[in-house]
Amino acid sequence: MSLLLNEIGNGIFLGAFFGLVALGYSMVYGILRLINFAHGDFYMVAAFVSYTILGAVAVGHSHGHWWTVVWVGLVVMVITGALAALANQLIYRPMRRAAILSLMIAAIGLSQVLENGVLVTPHWGATYLVYPVTTPPRGFNLGSNHYTWGQLFIVLISGLLALGVYFLVGRTLLGKAMRAVSEDRIAATLMGINVDLVIAIVFFIGGALAGAAAVMTGVYYGQINYLMGFTVGLEAFTAAVLGGIGNIGGAVLGGLILGIVQSIGTGIFGAEWSIVVAFGALVLMLWIRPTGLLGERVARRM
Amino acid sequence: MNRNSFKARILASGVVVAGMLTVVTGATGGAASAAAKSSPYLIGVPMPMTGAEAQAGTQIYNAELMAAQQINKKGGVLGHQLKLIEQDDACDAGTAVNAANLLVSKGVQAEVGGYCSGATLPAEPIIARAGIPYVMPAANSPELTTGGYKNVFLIDPSGAGDGAEAAAFFKQQGIKKIFIIDDQSSFGVAIANAAAKDIKANGGTVTGGVQSIPATSNDFSAVISQIKSSGAKGIYWSGYFAQAAQFATQLNAAGIIGAHGSAKFVVADGSVDATYLSGAGAAGNGTYATIAALASGVGNVLGTHADQVFNAAYRKEFKAAPGPYSTFGYDAITALVLAAKDAKSIAPARVIAKLHTLSFNGLTGKVSFDKTGNRLGAVMDLLEVVNGKYTLAKPQPKL
Repeated sequence: MSLLLNEIGNGIFLGAFFGLVALGYSMVYGILRLINFAHGDFYMVAAFVSYTILGAVAVGHSHGHWWTVVWVGLVVMVITGALAALANQLIYRPMRRAAILSLMIAAIGLSQVLENGVLVTPHWGATYLVYPVTTPPRGFNLGSNHYTWGQLFIVLISGLLALGVYFLVGRTLLGKAMRAVSEDRIAATLMGINVDLVIAIVFFIGGALAGAAAVMTGVYYGQINYLMGFTVGLEAFTAAVLGGIGNIGGAVLGGLILGIVQSIGTGIFGAEWSIVVAFGALVLMLWIRPTGLLGERVARRM
Repeated sequence: MNRNSFKARILASGVVVAGMLTVVTGATGGAASAAAKSSPYLIGVPMPMTGAEAQAGTQIYNAELMAAQQINKKGGVLGHQLKLIEQDDACDAGTAVNAANLLVSKGVQAEVGGYCSGATLPAEPIIARAGIPYVMPAANSPELTTGGYKNVFLIDPSGAGDGAEAAAFFKQQGIKKIFIIDDQSSFGVAIANAAAKDIKANGGTVTGGVQSIPATSNDFSAVISQIKSSGAKGIYWSGYFAQAAQFATQLNAAGIIGAHGSAKFVVADGSVDATYLSGAGAAGNGTYATIAALASGVGNVLGTHADQVFNAAYRKEFKAAPGPYSTFGYDAITALVLAAKDAKSIAPARVIAKLHTLSFNGLTGKVSFDKTGNRLGAVMDLLEVVNGKYTLAKPQPKL
């Protein structure tokens, strides 16, 4: 029993990362019906950008000062958000009238360009890079599991960011504009909404969340490499579908469920089954509810 | 923007990507051998140049280039200049099969490559059909020499020794309950199963069976909870170094190893790398690794009786430190060339025959092979990480 509780704790931590990245997938899908396969690579680029910035400002502090990490994190969120918005502007916006399949192929192409771009960038390249700042091992015990303060902090930050997005989309005028664009782009234009700007903002927010997840991955896991975006992208995409793609709450819930199912799957069946259990859960979910957990409102809202 | 200009943009970006790829291959393929009087000796080098293991692959390939350049300066082998043809196997079985076919179709007369056993195994039958020698600098899964191929030669002693050495260490420490985990790679799984067998033979138990975690995973928390509840005092990792560093860090944070834990963490030779030391940081101290004795004394691992000449030349040529398997790449090329000299021919069948009887002193010690192509004299060393550096553990466990 205590093993089960411990695995749930592990799963919530894991799910916090999945959820943050899944939010970006889900929001872009909600507004464009586009599965942005390059999203995981925004996360990867953010990890490298933060690696370089932190390396320059946090020299000599192996655990760093937490406020250094926070402000670097904020800067990286803005940079990654801008990168995502720029990608939208240069690639997706000119293709807006093209078939959605063409956009998806363009997204896969962008993903390749980002990965190989990092590969040929001096000081980045193909090697594993050790992140300059890592969270210290101090922490607290819950059940028989030891959690570090860093882990708690990461879960809290993820929760706050997700709440912020939920509030932004559900309660603000900008959010109302996003929902309007999601529902009917032409009608939204007729109502005087700057559709291109709204879509750019959605990309910006998605990118910024991926940036935050990347910095937290760096400080907790301690290593980055240019292929890290692929795995995370796949898992976050799964989380988004599990929760009901296009739905904000669904992305977070999907992330948490995916994390918990993977961890419990490992605890019960062994580590080699973790991915089988996770995707098994996805298949089961899609069989019972093809729209995902909270997917019923996908047609109407983000 | 209209469609046509978009197409032009896609085309342009395609050209940029192609350009980038040229840069990548150009940077690593700079071994232009001088024009020879007779035909060049074409040697295929399948090695991971992209992907997670690209670093190790490049370090071995560079050393091979260095060996080839030095031999070419002295006039090559039997008048033939060596010409290495690199082909990325990406540490991936499918890519490796394509690479092997491509190299064979280019008419290579020998293959000297292989870091990831999982990418080397599926290429074996292709190279065997081509009837050319296959000298592997670093791939060392025990499965590589069980296929009955006569043309396969492992410069790095078989990894079966890793498991036996780890089992002996756990016995020496009086540790009975051991948790074994691999990374689902061909090498990792083979070593993990070999270790499990040896541990059981020594009277230990493998708690929870041999577990596998995907090579792409960076989170070990679920497994660590299992280790905690199993009460295992020994943890054995048979995968590669990047995950090993993360595993060690997380085990340390969970209080299983290190200052607040009493368990011992041992890794196999795929995890012996400078990136393990820097990645694990303080959490790496007090962890152990097994590696062929021939490998631990050379290159960068221990730094003792290291071949200073090789290290200096490598640094000068490539502006970077060699990796733990660089010297193996150097010896692989040397082995092939000496066999060709013995055979007085670069005809593949004659070179293979001479490789079987070859014996010379290389950078990694005496190089000779048994009937199946395994390196002879494979004694293992147990390394302990002390203050962020590999040291020879004392006392060494008795097999």
